Amino acid sequence: MPKQLLQGNQAIAMAAESAGLKFFAGYPITPASEIIHEMVNKRHIRVLQMEDEIASINAIIGASLAGLKTMTATSGPGFSLMQESIGMAHMMEVPIVIVNVQRVGPSTGMPTLPAQGDVIQCIHGSHGDYFPIVFYPNSVAELYQYTIMAFNAAEESLSPVILLSDGYISHLYETITPSGDFEIKVRSRSPLGSGNRHFTGLSHEDSLPKTSDVDNYRRLITRLQEKQQSVAQRYNYYEYLECSKDTDTLLISYGGLSRAAYYFKNDFSLYRPIRMFPVVEEIRSIASRYKRILVMEMNTGQYAHEIERILHRNIENIPILGGRIDLTEMKQKIKQKMNE
Amino acid sequence: MNKNTHFKRYLKLDVLPTPWCPGCGNGIVLKTICQSFDELDLPKNGTVVVSGIGCAGRSAGFFDLDSVHTAHGRALPVAEGIKYANDALTVVVVSGDGDLLGIGGNHLLHAIRRKTDITVICYANEIYAMTGGQVSPITPHNTKTLTTPDGNPDYPTDIQSLFGYHNCFFARTTAYHLGHMKKCITEALKFKGFSFVEVRTMCIVNYGRRLGYKNSNEMLLNFKDVYKMNDNAEELAPDEIGIIRVNTDGHR
Repeated sequence: MPKQLLQGNQAIAMAAESAGLKFFAGYPITPASEIIHEMVNKRHIRVLQMEDEIASINAIIGASLAGLKTMTATSGPGFSLMQESIGMAHMMEVPIVIVNVQRVGPSTGMPTLPAQGDVIQCIHGSHGDYFPIVFYPNSVAELYQYTIMAFNAAEESLSPVILLSDGYISHLYETITPSGDFEIKVRSRSPLGSGNRHFTGLSHEDSLPKTSDVDNYRRLITRLQEKQQSVAQRYNYYEYLECSKDTDTLLISYGGLSRAAYYFKNDFSLYRPIRMFPVVEEIRSIASRYKRILVMEMNTGQYAHEIERILHRNIENIPILGGRIDLTEMKQKIKQKMNE
Repeated sequence: MNKNTHFKRYLKLDVLPTPWCPGCGNGIVLKTICQSFDELDLPKNGTVVVSGIGCAGRSAGFFDLDSVHTAHGRALPVAEGIKYANDALTVVVVSGDGDLLGIGGNHLLHAIRRKTDITVICYANEIYAMTGGQVSPITPHNTKTLTTPDGNPDYPTDIQSLFGYHNCFFARTTAYHLGHMKKCITEALKFKGFSFVEVRTMCIVNYGRRLGYKNSNEMLLNFKDVYKMNDNAEELAPDEIGIIRVNTDGHR
């Protein structure tokens, strides 16, 4: 395909089509609406504007069970509404793709400004234990690439995969060369209307609800966790830039903010998770080479806590709040942190 | 096979019994749905049952077809997604009044608006039964429930009125009027567009016994006394059962 100037949200829609998307349901929300706008112009994709985000995610769950590749796109408030059904899709093992273009929260917050406040909600937003695969690209080209990955991971894991974006990269225009050179995974399960299976959010075994069988529940959750881990390992994506100068500090950032963090590549080594969850194992060996680990993110320390939990060591956190990505401010905050 | 028992081919007999209490009306509705399936000879591959949460929601697991037991209130959008994904499927929603009108009420308004070609069978027992007997959107005024100990201060939702001018099928029937119920469900399944059957059914354990009914049969016989058949109605009175079709031009 030739070079194209695309907006981040356009690239998501384009990639979804390449990945085989056939059904999209959504509800208007800033800064994700361009995705549904793009979808309605695609001939082979059925698009429904639903009454809310709850209906949207449930419609794509139904359509996915009926055999189609499906997707929805939203921002924080809509993502919050979807949480219950995300848990349901994990329990029923339904492959779907959910795009969350983050904006400043909580609540209505600052709708047009970017944030990264939904990072932990991706893995703990629904009740109970579930183990989603989450990607967070940082450019228009990567949005294209990882949208396709998200569809493939969803098919391989038969689970909801989350593609995080933010108001910054989703509204960014960049020139990309959309490649058709991707492997596309196909559905491994036959569609609804071809058997006597029972898909339920209840704890179950072989289509039968098992509402008080403790051992069965434990087996079920272990199986789901192991499945998610093993599929995730096929998508070990991260970016690590080792500093040319001698440094004892690793600066971690991701998504839109990591674009600004490249400025510091001559001062610190940089690490950027792309597969945010489950956390990429390589972080352990990379982090072991550094005395100090700074996590700079557009929230008050959500990924920093997760890194801290995994590495069992002290992590320093630099919050960049309120949607402002300002290099002068960032330099100042890092300098201040280094002098502490 | 004996024609009378033929409806059983739509049931997973090996997973019985159901989780329902003795005296529950849900089994009557479940059986009648299967009889309607049988009458229309619906192919098992090609029919999908979707349910929400609650006593009625557990019905889905007993159909010997592909079925989906969704989150509370979400049977309709899931069913719509299925139907829009594969128009060749017959999609049937089975759920209760609390699920369809309470937590899922917004979806009902919009499924009606979209006229999605699915059939909804509402097990209308006037109560949140699985959770012990709390007031539902169609519990009558002044009725005592666990959450309205002084009587329900509100008036029940008139389900029929939600359909307005939309081109849909609406029927009300009861667990007592077996032939009528089967006719309503069969006609609803045949209807091209959104069809909704409100089946008045009884919950003795978490509702009726607190209202003074001695047993489930008394509740069942009460349907006989209360509901009058009206076959040519443009609009059903609260104590009438029958079928209402709204034509494409918006007239009943």
